[in-house]
Amino acid sequence: MRLTKTAVLAALLSTTWLMPAWAADLTIGRASEQSSIDPQFSRTGNNQMTSTMFFDRLVAFDENLQVSPGLAASWEIQDETTWLLHLREGVTFHDGSAFTAADVVYSLERADEVPNSPAPYTDMVSSLATVEAVDDLTVKITTNVPNPALMEDIGRVFIISKAAAEGKASEDFSSPATAVGTGPYVLEEWKPGETLTMHANDSYWGTVPEFNEVEIRYISNDAARVAALLSGAVDVIDAVPPQDVARLEGTDGTHVFSTPSGRVIYLGLSMRFDQAPAVTDLDGNPLAENPFKDARVRKAISLMIDRELIVDRILGGSGVPAGQLVPDALGGHNTDVPADKPDVAKAKELLAEAGYPEGFGLTLYSSNDRFPGDGDLVQALGQMLSRGGLKVNGVEALPYSVYSKAASAGDYGAFVFSLGSSTPTSAPNLQSLLHSYDKEAGKGAFNRVRFSSPEFDAALADALQEFDAETRIAKLEDATKLVFDETPIVPLYWQKVHWGLRDGLTIEAGLSEQTLPQKVTSAE
Amino acid sequence: MTVFILRRVLQAILVLFITSLVVFLGVYAIGDPLEILLPADASMAERAQVAASLHLDDPLPLQYLNFITSALQGDFGRSFVYNRPALDVIFERLPATLELVTTSLILSLILGIPLGLIAGVKPGSVTDESIMTGSILGFSLPNFWQGMMLIMIFAVWLGWLPSTGRGETGYILGIRTSYATWDGFIHLLLPATNLALAQIALVIRLTRTGVQETMPLDFVKYARARGISERRILFVHVLKTILIPIVTVLGIEFGSLIAFAVVTETIFAWPGVGKLIIDSINMLDRPIVVAYILVIVAMFIVINLVVDVLYSLLDPRIRSRAS
Repeated sequence: MRLTKTAVLAALLSTTWLMPAWAADLTIGRASEQSSIDPQFSRTGNNQMTSTMFFDRLVAFDENLQVSPGLAASWEIQDETTWLLHLREGVTFHDGSAFTAADVVYSLERADEVPNSPAPYTDMVSSLATVEAVDDLTVKITTNVPNPALMEDIGRVFIISKAAAEGKASEDFSSPATAVGTGPYVLEEWKPGETLTMHANDSYWGTVPEFNEVEIRYISNDAARVAALLSGAVDVIDAVPPQDVARLEGTDGTHVFSTPSGRVIYLGLSMRFDQAPAVTDLDGNPLAENPFKDARVRKAISLMIDRELIVDRILGGSGVPAGQLVPDALGGHNTDVPADKPDVAKAKELLAEAGYPEGFGLTLYSSNDRFPGDGDLVQALGQMLSRGGLKVNGVEALPYSVYSKAASAGDYGAFVFSLGSSTPTSAPNLQSLLHSYDKEAGKGAFNRVRFSSPEFDAALADALQEFDAETRIAKLEDATKLVFDETPIVPLYWQKVHWGLRDGLTIEAGLSEQTLPQKVTSAE
Repeated sequence: MTVFILRRVLQAILVLFITSLVVFLGVYAIGDPLEILLPADASMAERAQVAASLHLDDPLPLQYLNFITSALQGDFGRSFVYNRPALDVIFERLPATLELVTTSLILSLILGIPLGLIAGVKPGSVTDESIMTGSILGFSLPNFWQGMMLIMIFAVWLGWLPSTGRGETGYILGIRTSYATWDGFIHLLLPATNLALAQIALVIRLTRTGVQETMPLDFVKYARARGISERRILFVHVLKTILIPIVTVLGIEFGSLIAFAVVTETIFAWPGVGKLIIDSINMLDRPIVVAYILVIVAMFIVINLVVDVLYSLLDPRIRSRAS
């Protein structure tokens, strides 16, 4: 009797209280969390990362953002504004239903209509005039204007199941019943702020991922994320802070994977007004003219900066010196535009030529919580510019939420900013950062310095009209050379990003900065 | 009593209204959510679309008017980031924080009161000295550093306890809680300890002082004269009389812990409201920030009211004065 009582009690305990934790095959500690599972709700990097686990797109982007066929197996251009897409055969959604042209039409139409989206896919589908299903596996698209980059544009829109998603709101996607995609993983549950669990899609049309049950934990604190890897609570972490790289490499059982990112850190010199904010003569009075409007001054400042030293000392090696917008893995990178080497003598010469033999005074601004080392960076820049012959009146580092608004409003004369790449070529970044500011045409949206060069604008427009992919890249390279001869901004470096992994695991990751469970494999 | 409570409610409404105005203006002044929400390559068209759909292009007085009219109907707006009602997002995270804070308060009571009583009975003894020295540590160690040390020692070196998240949760009486499973319970230990250490120190000191003040009083002497055991005097008669300051302080601490468990929640990746509010401030998610502060203010008002009511239950003198 007593025995049975104990046995019953033990059985009870073991089923409820002492039940071992649900063990995942792979646990990932991730720094940032998506705001929704609805893959069309927001196209910020976080959301795209999560969406890539459950959903596919018409084209696939590899870890360096290069394009290959995805749900569209092939496409043909009938004339400059008419495209025919041939969809992949035999693809099924997570619920077993077949993937058809109707889902593509639905997804493309919904992309710019998601209510209250803070970062809609509007631009990706803005060139579409009509989208129609010719048959189950063929979609015909016509565009308003010739758009050679159509597949890169609509290729960024995630394809959802019409049957599962029709009439549903973004928040309904937290349920696996609505979040039905064709992707390598199937959603199990999202506990906001806590975990995201999923299992592999056994009938995936591509390579079925190695790890079946996967749990992603959101650990935003850097030190806590590193500790979680060290304690073995997670197998993989992303966004390893530069100062912890050596430590993880030196610890038995963990190693680090590093790759350059597409995010360029640059110094902007504002040409927006006739007087640059916080730019003074040597006595501290506002300077009558804006020295940054002179390309020689901008070049001189670029020559004062020792990029190698910054990367080495401030970032602990976590950067690559930059002389243009995108790194060499992306289309449009011109190898003839190197990063400037420090040359103080030349810089002083240029300053004298521009009419400032004794230099002038300026204040440098930066955020202090946007990317690793941003507060230290601006101080180092201050020292380098004083060594180069300018009078640095001060450096100021502010929280990004405050800083970004003032920077966009043009409150700063000289300021540090960053720009990430999420496309296969440099075209969108050239257009938003360096094209003349034109609110009507929607160009130069992030041209905070208000650089303007009609020749560059024309060269870029020409490149964007080009249908032949190789010629387009060549034209982008030429436009890059053309514009950086004038130093429109002062590029500093491309960030490097790091992943920490338990020994025995490898991850394929790159410019996209995505941490995807389907890209994690056991090492040979 | 009814008049008292009515007056408190009217004051509360006024306080909430003023807070809403101040917070709304403050959050509005910080920055432009569009700069944070939009991806780097967003076009002007997208910018305009988002500004219009989130009503960010309305003039400030109109935005406030819209906010306050819908707030009066119980709608505190939708989160910019999550596109869900702000209150839903907050109340979804609140239970995790409540669980953490309650656990650490219980820890501080069951450890702090006995230790304080022991220390207070024999002031100057070795036991007293060691307890008091220990409590100085509890007070003065920075919460952040202490949390990292707990993780290093118990999770990384010894490997005994998990350091991130809530672990497996289950349902007790329909509430999702870590207490329901062993895995959830051990996940709770490190963060709750981290949060509790300073509280334990506080309770020890309050209790010790209380005991020292109460022991020489006449009623203790009479109790001794009646032959009541030392233990009963201490744990029943003395304890009862020193509870008032402890209840007051813990009431206020309970509120502050919920509102400011931020550091602990961030280090231990605990999915509570503290972490939510920090993220929301960084993302300039205005509806969440405003709604959160209003919820917290309302909570403080309620706690203060509860503490006042508890007084009268604990101290018959206050009760008789009120009637």
